[in-house]
Amino acid sequence: MKHPTPQIPTTIDLPRAERTRLDNGTELYLLPANEFEVLRVSFVFRAGTVHQRRPFAASATANLLAEGSARLSAREIAEQLDFYGSYYDVSIDRDFVYLSFCTLTRFFRETLATAAEILLHPLFPEPELRTYCAKRRQELDIERTKVETEAREAFARSLFGAKHPYGISYPGSEYETLTRADVEEHYRRLYTAENCFVVCSGHIGPEEREAIAALARQLPHGTRAEAPMPATETTHEARVTHPGAVQSSIRIGRLLFPRQHPDFLGMQVVAAVLGGYFGSRLMQALREERGYTYGVTAAMVNFEREGYFALATQVGTEVTADALRLIYDEIERLRTVPMEESELRLVQNILAGEMMRILDGPFGVADATIENILCGMDNDSIARNLQRIRAITPAEVQRLATQYLRREDLVTVVAGADAEGI
Amino acid sequence: MITYHTYKLSNGLTVIANRDRTSKLAAVNLLYRVGARNEDPERTGFAHLFEHLMFRGTRRIPDFDRPVQMACGDNNAFTNNDYTDYYITLPVVNLETAFWLESDRMTGLDISERKLTLEKRVVVEEFRQRYLNQPYGDQMMLLRSLAYHVHPYRWATIGRTPEHIERATLDDVRTFYRRWYRPSNAILSVSGDLPEEQVAELAERWFGPITDPGDGNFPLTLPAEPAQTEARRLEVERDVPASAISIAFHIGGRTSPSFFAGDLVSDLLAGGDSGRLYQHLVKGRKLFASVNAYVTGEVDPGLFVFTGQLLPTTTLEQAETALWEEIDRLINEPAPERECEKVKNKFEANTLFGELNVMNKALNLGFYEMLGDLTLLDREVSLYRAIDAERIATFSRETFRRENSCTLLYKAKR
Repeated sequence: MKHPTPQIPTTIDLPRAERTRLDNGTELYLLPANEFEVLRVSFVFRAGTVHQRRPFAASATANLLAEGSARLSAREIAEQLDFYGSYYDVSIDRDFVYLSFCTLTRFFRETLATAAEILLHPLFPEPELRTYCAKRRQELDIERTKVETEAREAFARSLFGAKHPYGISYPGSEYETLTRADVEEHYRRLYTAENCFVVCSGHIGPEEREAIAALARQLPHGTRAEAPMPATETTHEARVTHPGAVQSSIRIGRLLFPRQHPDFLGMQVVAAVLGGYFGSRLMQALREERGYTYGVTAAMVNFEREGYFALATQVGTEVTADALRLIYDEIERLRTVPMEESELRLVQNILAGEMMRILDGPFGVADATIENILCGMDNDSIARNLQRIRAITPAEVQRLATQYLRREDLVTVVAGADAEGI
Repeated sequence: MITYHTYKLSNGLTVIANRDRTSKLAAVNLLYRVGARNEDPERTGFAHLFEHLMFRGTRRIPDFDRPVQMACGDNNAFTNNDYTDYYITLPVVNLETAFWLESDRMTGLDISERKLTLEKRVVVEEFRQRYLNQPYGDQMMLLRSLAYHVHPYRWATIGRTPEHIERATLDDVRTFYRRWYRPSNAILSVSGDLPEEQVAELAERWFGPITDPGDGNFPLTLPAEPAQTEARRLEVERDVPASAISIAFHIGGRTSPSFFAGDLVSDLLAGGDSGRLYQHLVKGRKLFASVNAYVTGEVDPGLFVFTGQLLPTTTLEQAETALWEEIDRLINEPAPERECEKVKNKFEANTLFGELNVMNKALNLGFYEMLGDLTLLDREVSLYRAIDAERIATFSRETFRRENSCTLLYKAKR
């Protein structure tokens, strides 16, 4: 039987968000999709780790917002959210904090009332802070027994410098001296109207619209946060010895540029060719042809002020040196030999499919909108990005790899048994 | 509420279609009724290894992933103790590509000695990465072998040891493929924006020509686990930063009343931050860094599991006593009305959140059909609604008995 011919989407529609500037300066973005019975509101604050004045203050603040307010105890807040089946999700990166509330539309009011307590009136009670610190310290200790964590932290230090806000990591003991005052200070300084925007998607009627605006309008005034960014100090090689590990964790990459740079999308394609999908060149070389690993990935990573290329894998201890050689060889091949049109077409289609999947459903639309806002772009940029990716040629891929992935510019980190010997 | 149509092809393949008008994507899910429970005890990990081999190409299509990716699609698979599941999401305009590929690999798999050798290596690396080179990686394996003595749930899907995987031969591959990968042992479920009849037509066009070997139904004769009559304990020492404890109790299978009651009780204990265990033992008494309760949810009689990681200041004895105190409360104090209402609301909301994308829907349709009762998909919310405080106490009394318990003490080396 004749096999079906696939059709490739030539454009992707992401609705423009309705944007309103509230009296207090907070920007509100709405993405109504009234065919759903659910709704999500996300508050994004410029309050990530680069803005903290004490180690772990940023994550502690974000995670303790729901641990007790002027009117409700931590337990009552949890009870309220759970009773209506709502989800409250906190995530944090170096630059930002993302607080999201997902709820059935019919329980929207109740959920928003709890959200107001969390956002506007947190108390950060001392006992909750101490429980949190003890728990996180233990989690961190467990995380740091993994070669993967050791490699990830060493990689950030190597790329940016051990003291750079994007590279630094702290000993777990810092949790013991973190005080309520540190957390309170972080909150007062950063959880303000000037440091926040709000994105809401799903079922949004007039009532929901008004209620969200009413809540966001209550965010207090403050000053827009600017974290000092010292120059980066890159170290090209790092090894972390982990006696007895049966696998080594490898990270290779280099500092490049943030998303706004004209070559960012192109480098996303380069990363995808190397390790962005199941049949990628590195996956072929390490997994499919040799069985060295369960998986390998490569990607461009974006921070507000910097961006970098990275690839990561975990391989058997005994094949670590050979795996490194294979990775360098694959990078070199991309720089010296033009890729086939058909392989590039495949990668372009994969990236188009990924964009469609990210945008599927009301919550994905909100995530993509947040990402665009953070890069100073509107939602039409999704269609432009797709055009740009589809227009890339093999010659351009080679040009990018030649320019940006020179062996002497790469940072290599290995964590594993006998890592020093490799 | 998910609407669906079901069809059965003459070769025995079950087809289920759901129309989703909101998405530009479609999901195709193909479930085979074979999992780790169907393995030879001396050749464990094979169903999962075989799942990997299903991506190694057929006589006509040497690379499975490539055509999926050319069609802007994404695909993956997983194996558990009961079944093996393959899924593809792609733009709905390219739906037929998924039918072409899945029907092709139902009969055309082409595995050479070299492919098998390589894949065994990949799976051994997976074994190392996820179970051996991972703090607490073997905890569930130990608990399974403590709780089950004869039923195949006594081993995990990855297998009992990497040596079993290394031992697999091409002959094993052929026999396994012939026996389990056939239309009558599979369920195809599809969700996307196209008319249900069209799904049926596509299924007929691509899967209809496949003949089912029809050589017997291989009645499943899995050894039933005898009732446990006395408490079991196992203590191990590992190089981990904190000690951990698990207590497992035997309950009924996935469609039995005791599963639903157990699931609800696990939500009382550990559903969300307001759950009893987190509130009492992590926040209130500060004994645990993390604590959880869950039901394994497997087809055959399963387990209700309590598990937690201790804070350094807590002894294993204290942790164990504290868990039993929570159990005593379940048995002796009726669960407050509002608390019951809370976990039921949460279950209902989760059901709704789970219906937001085509992938989840296709997956669920296949799963409930595999359980043998697709109507359960829409009845579960009302089944949970019917569970009251008395039922919770009865379930707890009947289940949480010392002689029905398996306790694993996972001690951190000092």
